[in-house]
Amino acid sequence: MEKKVPVVKKARVGKRAPVALLGYSLETMEAAKEHNIPFVAVVPEGFDIALKEDGVDVVTWDFYVHNHNSDRLYEKLVERGVSHAVPLYEETVEWAGSLNTRLLKDPRAFQRALLFRDKAMMKRNAQMNGIRVGVFEEIRSREEALAFFDDINEARLRLQEEAPEPVHLKPLSAAGSVGHVFVRSRQDIASLPDDAFPCLAESHLAGQEFSVEAFIHKGKIEFMNITEYVHLGYSQIVPETPRLSKHRTKIRKAIEKLMKAFGIVNGMIHPEYFLDQEGELHFGEVAARVPGGHIFELIQRAHGFNPYAALLLCSDPNTSKTELDRFFPKEKDHKIFAANLMVYPRKASVHQLQFPKELEAHPYMDRHTMFEPVTAKVAERVGFGNHYGTVFLAGEDPETLRELVQRYEEYDFYE
Amino acid sequence: MSDSPEGSPQTELQAATARQEQALLQALEALEQAPPFVKAKYQPEVIRRATDLFETDAGLQFVRAQAHRFDSAGVFHAGPWEHPDRLLPGLVGGGLRAEGQYSSLEMLSELRVLAIAAGESPHPKFSAEQALTFLRTVMGLNLDLLYGSETEESRLRPKVYARAYRILAMIKHEISSEGLLEQVLDDIDARVAQRPIDVSLTLKMIEQAENIKGDPDPKLAARLDRYLKATGPPTPLAKKAGSPTNYLKLLANATTHEIENEAKVVGKLLTLTGLSSEYHVAFLQHALKHEATGILAIALDLTEVAQAHMEQYREKVFELMRLTIHPATSWIIYGFQQMLERMLLARPEVADGLTKLLNLDLCPTAQQVTKKQLPRGSGITANAAIVGGAIAMLGQPLGVGQGNNPTCQGARALSLWSLHDPGYLLQLLTSAARDDTVEFMFEGLPILSGEIGGGVAEGKFDLKLDPVSRILVPHLDRIYDEKMRRAALRGEDPHKWVNPALYGRWVATSLASITMVNQTVSGYEDFLRLFYATHHPLYDGGHDLVYPNPVGLLITNVHGVFLGYHAVSIQRVAEDEEGKVRVYFFNPNNEGRQNWGRGVEPSVVGHWEIPGESSLPFEHFAAHIYAFHYNQMEVGDPKAVPAEIIAEVTAHAKEGWGQAFTWL
Repeated sequence: MEKKVPVVKKARVGKRAPVALLGYSLETMEAAKEHNIPFVAVVPEGFDIALKEDGVDVVTWDFYVHNHNSDRLYEKLVERGVSHAVPLYEETVEWAGSLNTRLLKDPRAFQRALLFRDKAMMKRNAQMNGIRVGVFEEIRSREEALAFFDDINEARLRLQEEAPEPVHLKPLSAAGSVGHVFVRSRQDIASLPDDAFPCLAESHLAGQEFSVEAFIHKGKIEFMNITEYVHLGYSQIVPETPRLSKHRTKIRKAIEKLMKAFGIVNGMIHPEYFLDQEGELHFGEVAARVPGGHIFELIQRAHGFNPYAALLLCSDPNTSKTELDRFFPKEKDHKIFAANLMVYPRKASVHQLQFPKELEAHPYMDRHTMFEPVTAKVAERVGFGNHYGTVFLAGEDPETLRELVQRYEEYDFYE
Repeated sequence: MSDSPEGSPQTELQAATARQEQALLQALEALEQAPPFVKAKYQPEVIRRATDLFETDAGLQFVRAQAHRFDSAGVFHAGPWEHPDRLLPGLVGGGLRAEGQYSSLEMLSELRVLAIAAGESPHPKFSAEQALTFLRTVMGLNLDLLYGSETEESRLRPKVYARAYRILAMIKHEISSEGLLEQVLDDIDARVAQRPIDVSLTLKMIEQAENIKGDPDPKLAARLDRYLKATGPPTPLAKKAGSPTNYLKLLANATTHEIENEAKVVGKLLTLTGLSSEYHVAFLQHALKHEATGILAIALDLTEVAQAHMEQYREKVFELMRLTIHPATSWIIYGFQQMLERMLLARPEVADGLTKLLNLDLCPTAQQVTKKQLPRGSGITANAAIVGGAIAMLGQPLGVGQGNNPTCQGARALSLWSLHDPGYLLQLLTSAARDDTVEFMFEGLPILSGEIGGGVAEGKFDLKLDPVSRILVPHLDRIYDEKMRRAALRGEDPHKWVNPALYGRWVATSLASITMVNQTVSGYEDFLRLFYATHHPLYDGGHDLVYPNPVGLLITNVHGVFLGYHAVSIQRVAEDEEGKVRVYFFNPNNEGRQNWGRGVEPSVVGHWEIPGESSLPFEHFAAHIYAFHYNQMEVGDPKAVPAEIIAEVTAHAKEGWGQAFTWL
């Protein structure tokens, strides 16, 4: 029995029309409220009840169903006078594109969104725009995967007795590292399940990996954060340490090139790159949503601004230059570095949390989010998600931070 | 870390504590300032920081000092703990043992209730008095946490248990355990009054009641003393002996007068409590050795009729007693007494059935489930343990319980057969114990439990059950499920066919049930009128109930909110001590005391219930029933039921479980 809840029509603050926030993100809603940005939360069913009780304007939507009723979302939002939509999760990116095509009268918004969702399309576009990407192919079967693996190794002139050059297989559209398979041998391909295909096969890029969170407004980078991956999927430092910061100018140019190639005018992008031994940048992929791995929390801690608010301000074409100038600090003004460590049990079965006393007492220790495990049996890791908790650290010396996260990556937090 | 700034471990510890305390305060403040819809973002940090502090007494005290802020800050906002007036004390024990953040949340909730009880943060819907009652009940229900008993689980998760012990100690300290012993004794009284076959929980509670110290009230001490005597050394002589073995030695040298005295005490304790001890076993063994039926009759507190029955079948009685009454199975003594009172050995199918079981070749399954529950090296055979269990079930038909299994059907069936066809019960048990299968017919076709899978419990059983249920219920569960499958999709409640086929000819073949298609209730008035015209002595045309009637109830929680469906058996309908018509029913869930909200509280004692029965005023029962069997030839006049009664019951139903349904 669905109770009828009257739509709360809030008075518009300033000249802003409400923005549609696609996906359930308390942080974004909080930022909107703090900055007097009226919003409509578009969330999957079940997330709406508590929000409604707390007076939030909510529309429920199933982002996984695409059919002739999909138009209804646009109609519901137009009824509420929504100006544009902001995607918060991977699955909502094309929805935002489709909505913005009409809301912002931007005919290519939907197709652009697909560029972010279809990894092959994304890389093809990057390549045509002169961005350095690995060799990639869309493959439909196990045989094609084996052929790709052989071709790459042939091109690398690998001898039989040498370890083969690894390749990567990824689903054509999924967030970050979900479904990613690192293939080291032909045997790895043989043991894949049938439903792993079709997928995208890609040559391996070596080097220091990092991501960029670029807040863009009217085609200009308003703020550029670099997140240095200490160990992909486990630990990272914000902003980048001196090893990487000497390449900042180069990286900014690469971002500008990427913006042009992908037609980004307003919003935020989260691309990933590899910096090789020769100092060359290789493009991995790019997302147009809130990054995973708690990167936004690290940005807030290190730079002192709320990146969720930044995302909202930059996504709105009507935000003024003064507002943005007042909002963003200078990139170089940060005093501290923030790092985190995503903890994943190192055993098959765990019963209770054993947080190391010396880490707890370390002056760089901020907080952690771990509790006693809910089930003793440790599940297989999916992508780089479902970690058990995160340790947040911050301090002035980036090398101490790096040393800490590296040391505790080897630690058993659960017994 | 070696590079710690300065000082001794002591100051380091203090610094760490101060940091943890500061962190909790900051987290609470952030939560307080958050708008309602963002509370969920800040709650985890408060819970996390509190969890750190819960590791020490001082830390718990620190969190306790902030507890008055929890409700207003929104610690429980939009979660299951939000409304203190809706908390259920019965869920606290499970909550404290829960995993992840939930055990910490449960602790925070108790601290909040403590603050309300102390008058630190008055709540509009939950008075300090209610908070006190809640906490007292929590203590009473969690004596094991209050007095810290070790379990497999507590060894595996010491931190969670240490915290749970800590919070209960705090509750005890703050609200005093005054009244706790009385509450526990009341609880034991109520359990004992129901005379369950499985008394393990009662024994545990008595053990824990003994640990409640410092209650000087002599009346309570006397009440507790009775239970301690029933389950431990019953007399000064036994106490002096110090162990059942020594007791047996002392009895060998006792005078006839002394023996008689001892017999009187153990006999009376048995009748008063339904409980017995290894000392009682020793005494019976002494009497058996001398084949002294007179002393046995006193030690079992038999009525004259039962004593005569015992004399008549003395050899059989001796044989069964020698084999089945054993230190490891002392609990069956009460069932033995009751079986003699029912004079069941006079029925050849019972006497022969028990003998057959004694000499049965047990299948591995029956061996295993029986042996597993016996203490190692107890020296009792599986056959004897099963026969002991059968005797207990024959003596206590209303003491059968389903334990932690969704098998109310099986428990009801065992109870019914024990009452009305004990020979059939023994035959089924024999078949299951020997062949690992039982055969039932359904509409002319046989079903063999050994050849089918399925079952409501899907083959997963908690074996904390009586010995007979342990063997038979898994079979009955599969049979029931299979019959339900075969009778499905007939457009009517399949129980119409399944119940008579499962329970037997005692169940009338017509079934009335509320039409509840698509959560919509229709035809409720006709249904109610039929229930009155078939069950209420004023309207049933004199066709009173003879055999138990398996019926379906709609159960609500303490707030009257619909919970689900439950099966009970109506045993009889009769007037109580006030002349009020009540329905007396068998609730197989082991705990007849319930609270279904809005004044509906089944009682187990005090309204002329037979031990093991629950009872409700007729109109309350009527407002919760949704299906019952009846004989078409035995219906009174449905129109004779006054409209006011129908209106009253209907209103009660609509305001309770009916809220979850649409009414036509």
